[in-house]
Amino acid sequence: MALPKEVYKALKDIVGSENISDDPALLDSYRYSLAHTAIHLGPYYDTFTPRGAAVLLPGSTGEVQAIVRLCNEHKIKFKASSTFWSAQGYPSEDDTIQLDMRRMDRILEIDERNMFAVVEPGVIGATLQAEAMKVGLNTHIAGSGCSCSVLAGATSYFGSGPSNLYGGWHYENLLGAEWVMPTGDLFRIGSLGSGCGWFCGEGPGPSMRGIARGFLGAKGAMGVFTKCAIKLFAWPGPESLPVEGTVPAYRVSLPDNFRAYTVAFPSWKAWADAAYLIWDTGIGYLAHRQFNMFGRELKYAMVKILTDPSKTLGDLEELLEDPEVQRVTEASKRDFQIVLAGMTPRDLAWQERAFDEILARTAGWKVEAMNQPDVADWSLLYLLRLGHKNLNLVFGGSYDGCFGLLGTADYGTTHVEESGQLKKEWEEQGAVVQAGGDCTMGPIGGQGGGGTCLWENFTCFDPYERESVEGTRALFDAATKLGLARGWGVGMEKWNAQCRGPDGRTTPKEERDRIHLSAPQPSVFRYQHKIRRAFNPNDLGDAYYETLDDEAD
Amino acid sequence: MNAKKARLAEIVGPDHVIDDPGIGESFTLDRTVRPAKRPSFKVRPKTVEQVREIVLWANETLTPLVPVSSGAPHLRGDTLPSVPEAVIVDLAGMKRILKIDRRNRLALLEPGVTYSQLQPELQKEGLRVIMPLLPRANKSVIASLLEREPPMSPRYQWNLLEPLRSLEIVWGNGDRFYSGSGTFRGEREEDWQQGLVPVQGPGPGQLDFYKFVSAAQGSMGIVTWASVKCEVHPEFRKLFLVPGERLADLIDFTYRLLRFRFGDELFLVNDACLAYILAQDEDKAVSLRNSLPPWTAVVGITGGQVLPREKVQARQQDIQELAQQSGLTLASALRGCHEGELQALLLNASAEPYWKLRYKGGAQEIFFLSTLDRAAGYVATMQAAAGEQQYPISDIGIYVQPVHQGVGCHCEFILPFDRGSQAESVRTEALFRDASHRLFGQKAFFSRPYGIWADMVYGADERTKMVTQKVKDIFDPNHLLNPGKLCF
Amino acid sequence: MPLEDFAAEMDRCSQCSYCKWIPFDQVRSWRFAKNCPSVSYYNFNSYSARGRYAVARSLIRGQSGYSDTVRDIVFTCMTCGSCDVSCKVCRYNLEPLEMVRELKFRLVEDGQGLEAHRAIIQSLDREQNTMQRPRSGRGDWADGLDVRRLASEKGKVLFHAGCRLSYDEDLQQSARAAVDLFRKAGVDVGIMGEQEMCCGGRIYAMGYREEFARFARANMAAWARAGVETIVTSCADGYHAFKRLYPQLGSGVQVLHTVEFLARLIQEKKIVFRLEVPMTVTYHDPCHLGRQGEPYVPWDGVEKKIKGQIVVYEPERPRYNGAWGVYDPPREILRSIPGVELVEMERIREYSWCCGAGGGVREAYPEYSQWTAGERISEAIATGAEALVTACPWCERNFQDAAGTMGEPMQVYDLVELVQKAV
Repeated sequence: MALPKEVYKALKDIVGSENISDDPALLDSYRYSLAHTAIHLGPYYDTFTPRGAAVLLPGSTGEVQAIVRLCNEHKIKFKASSTFWSAQGYPSEDDTIQLDMRRMDRILEIDERNMFAVVEPGVIGATLQAEAMKVGLNTHIAGSGCSCSVLAGATSYFGSGPSNLYGGWHYENLLGAEWVMPTGDLFRIGSLGSGCGWFCGEGPGPSMRGIARGFLGAKGAMGVFTKCAIKLFAWPGPESLPVEGTVPAYRVSLPDNFRAYTVAFPSWKAWADAAYLIWDTGIGYLAHRQFNMFGRELKYAMVKILTDPSKTLGDLEELLEDPEVQRVTEASKRDFQIVLAGMTPRDLAWQERAFDEILARTAGWKVEAMNQPDVADWSLLYLLRLGHKNLNLVFGGSYDGCFGLLGTADYGTTHVEESGQLKKEWEEQGAVVQAGGDCTMGPIGGQGGGGTCLWENFTCFDPYERESVEGTRALFDAATKLGLARGWGVGMEKWNAQCRGPDGRTTPKEERDRIHLSAPQPSVFRYQHKIRRAFNPNDLGDAYYETLDDEAD
Repeated sequence: MNAKKARLAEIVGPDHVIDDPGIGESFTLDRTVRPAKRPSFKVRPKTVEQVREIVLWANETLTPLVPVSSGAPHLRGDTLPSVPEAVIVDLAGMKRILKIDRRNRLALLEPGVTYSQLQPELQKEGLRVIMPLLPRANKSVIASLLEREPPMSPRYQWNLLEPLRSLEIVWGNGDRFYSGSGTFRGEREEDWQQGLVPVQGPGPGQLDFYKFVSAAQGSMGIVTWASVKCEVHPEFRKLFLVPGERLADLIDFTYRLLRFRFGDELFLVNDACLAYILAQDEDKAVSLRNSLPPWTAVVGITGGQVLPREKVQARQQDIQELAQQSGLTLASALRGCHEGELQALLLNASAEPYWKLRYKGGAQEIFFLSTLDRAAGYVATMQAAAGEQQYPISDIGIYVQPVHQGVGCHCEFILPFDRGSQAESVRTEALFRDASHRLFGQKAFFSRPYGIWADMVYGADERTKMVTQKVKDIFDPNHLLNPGKLCF
Repeated sequence: MPLEDFAAEMDRCSQCSYCKWIPFDQVRSWRFAKNCPSVSYYNFNSYSARGRYAVARSLIRGQSGYSDTVRDIVFTCMTCGSCDVSCKVCRYNLEPLEMVRELKFRLVEDGQGLEAHRAIIQSLDREQNTMQRPRSGRGDWADGLDVRRLASEKGKVLFHAGCRLSYDEDLQQSARAAVDLFRKAGVDVGIMGEQEMCCGGRIYAMGYREEFARFARANMAAWARAGVETIVTSCADGYHAFKRLYPQLGSGVQVLHTVEFLARLIQEKKIVFRLEVPMTVTYHDPCHLGRQGEPYVPWDGVEKKIKGQIVVYEPERPRYNGAWGVYDPPREILRSIPGVELVEMERIREYSWCCGAGGGVREAYPEYSQWTAGERISEAIATGAEALVTACPWCERNFQDAAGTMGEPMQVYDLVELVQKAV
């Protein structure tokens, strides 16, 4: 249904005619395939998120407020997204107005001494990192990669990534924020509201940042964040990355205070012991089980392809036959990557010695083939910039994570083999890429200083082939069944199933209620319902903000 | 026995209902600036079930409740009832350490557990918890963390609530709730065995429930246990003192340490503050104040777990070089202060009497958050205000504590005064009011708005006030928890 | 291949938006991180490669129809190929540049071409140039040059001036200089003069595939008649047409850009510098010489899957991702000129920002075209260079116009001009 003419005109008056469109083809470029990436609910073949009623490109907080007020006046749902990564950023109701925040893309400030930046929604990890590096600082980049909005990760989604360990995850890094609430009112969170600057997101008194986001954000269902401050951390490297190499095998050779290692362990217990020792000792700039996303059996062959610009996926089978590749693959079965960064030469020397000691205590080893200078330099650049997120989709065009064991290092390592084994059995049926079952990846340190891991088992498939998509969904159903049987809970393959259904639209209320009532603590969703009622009285977001009303029981 | 008392006795047992408990002795200006009302009873629950029953009863009878976890003296007025006939819910008796998990470095505590109680138990397991500067011996660990009291070690503070993690909360509506890891109840051993440990602070879900009870002065819910992240107990530890003539001289050095996250404990104090920390009596405080350098940066270095000695050596050399680059020197002793003596103090709770009260028996605090580069400006403002109010500038203790890994800092002014002297009380009160407003005007963020600060900050920020009140309506719909505080 | 054959790619596009940025590993600043002029200017998703995949899918499925907006979405693409490079940093089975070309062809075939382009095509049919100028003046640029006319004589090496250099009086000095340099270096080079025809590259980029093929075949026939074995051109568009497109129609001549040829002659000491050119310069990689300047590799194969769902090709498909474009010869030349100091912009080589003149945009969307060039001028200014040097007359023209409009004193040169100054 088209917007009433007078509403469209009013919106056009707010943003200008060049920043609004309801052309059907243009609107179709703002829909997301549910046979796709990290949506955690399907996948569903040839299904798309609903077409919006209009797309707007607001240019200022004032414009956003005016749009939201108009939406309230006419009871029109709206959804803002900054960089549109995954289906969560797209509407799940028909006739929703979509706000594309990319015009608001300024880095308003980098406070070098106090180590924070103030950004608008369109600022991505790569640009903030590049600017921060000029003044000896760095930003955490969420697992969704440096193409994604910093503000979105911090305010509205999850914000966890490889540099959690030293950089803190964006939950922790979010300071003051400017929030156009679902009513159009402007809420300046934390010290900002008191007129005291951006440096603090908590208070005064009980921290109302708690309604802006919790463990997760509201995923665009509760108003629009228009600015936020992000805590930065030290970058003991050059002012810009001296990148070398031929595309796509870019690599960076950094000063001697950086190391990028791939290490592996004889058992999962040893792997976990190493993680705990790293956290206890307080070393490491970044730690991630990264390249296992290609699969236990494919990862080193993939590294060979990615570090050689003359190679393509077509070389994969031949590489897998190479005895050297097979040897390295076997040696790096239970691996992870770690970057050490010394703030001073002594700091690096100590970290290196401590890390060697940790490896000695856990009988771990450095995977030498991965630590050859060119490969290590490629790995270092990959991990620091996180600019290759799209490799998640390199095989068939789609991936999604399953299981998603979130907890301590012991928790994930206890269950990784069993979950991988289930996946391997399904891989053999051909619907998903045969990669060795264990395609588990995630941060060594789900939060600042460590303490947790998130084990996402990558599943790669072809969104264009119905059998592949439906076979993947069958695997995900089996993963959920196993997770529930083992007490792991519903895995990440279904994390958004309560928000959006197979038709791309909001899951029916009865189904949502059933899922929320079966949660360990349904009151979480009842409180979210109350918060939504209090701050979003016209209910203008979608069901990605999860609620359970009082009537449901 | 009246009906209220009878019902409370039914819940907690007759021995744990205290009639007319009084308001307690005041060591600060709080009662001067905000008169307190006498409570009817004090109850001492032992379990979360009892707490919940008390809250449900309060909702039935519309009885105000004032939760308290720490022992006296209370310095900020938040535990003084603002309305008559309140019931004090004293949680100090809930002092079990439910669990210490070395591998995951977590401790699960009840609200009555104090730092003095906790640290030795942690040490047995090779752990410690980062501490605020010299808490009272009877200070509840959970209360301190909920108050967002800054720890001395900013490097471990990934967010302002660290090291607080999951909570069990009884909301003002009587609902028992688990925040953070949520689904892992924490008290169930089988969960810990399975690796399901309450390690998360945020959430669960899309709200951040523990934020609502932080700095809430007990007005949102009552926390009945909390998991707290611990650090490795260091095998090696050194403390260095870096003297400076002016605060500004130490700022650059402190920024350098913060940038690299060097230093464990890291804070700045003026001569008076350090004297109050070190001295056991008034005379000693005065003589120390006169001998100590005007400003001191206190820098701790610790090493634990893997190659601790090497770490401490490397850090010491690096910090020495950074100090030299700032034209400063690391010292292990200053005239009147030896690092060993100070370290021994800092690793423990305050001896009695509480350190802020030693000089004159009473003390009024002014504290807020800001950024380190503004700290010297606040000191100048405070001193100017003190001069105008004829308050002795040399008495003002100043404590500057970097927080959140250096993004901000806690600035604290300690204004000792003689509680017996009407003139001193009046003068201190005038200074307190005047300076608070002047500092706020200079972007001092009163993030924990006790007493009159609440009117100041919420008056200037209507939106936050409105949002906070709406959240209060959800979790404490009858406004029974500590009414009259903040913007409630 | 028909647009419908890109249906799998339309579904496999990961909607990640990498196509809007230079390869992330190369990002050095906020200011110069974007790569795609059209999405940078118009902002809506649909103006990026990912958006054009979605728009194409919408069209072929009949979910939407043609409109002014759709025409703008399609024809504001400069086919500069920067999206293609960024996409392929991670992907091996998507061809976004090919897809958008096919989308342009489809619109043109369906009568949805732009009026501005149609006027050019009409003139081209008559005058055989894209400049809408009389055919009779095509050879004027070479008046007085002592060079063989291969329309009437035989010769192995042909210098193709191209439409822009043939008619743009401000720029054609560089064509004369190129021929002069080759001659002095002992190269027996000829030109077609008045008989030279448009290469067809620019109309191909506007969506006129058939017209392009017609010109390609005519040119190939003319070369055959003259016995041409090597084509040299100073125009990047022409270079790309000859190097990558003509072989698809059977051309087997060697193709060199002037900078490649000059670099070789300098290395062989056949061109020797005698004068100093004291100047700090920065170099702009023309899209069709740089990332699109990779040699054509014939392929006739099919998609297959390995390991269940990994999409590969049988036989292995050539990969055009900008890795092997012409980047070093112009830089080698600049570094070899006495007095010239080369300072690089942030976006260079395969991830260079477009000049704004490609894809028919200069002709149909002049304001946007000039904005694009202006962005590059700003980037050049940020290096501290006095001059922006390039190796394509279309780039040079657009930069000169933009610098003039902006009131910036930035000098714009074709690389050949600097070489000539130094010999």
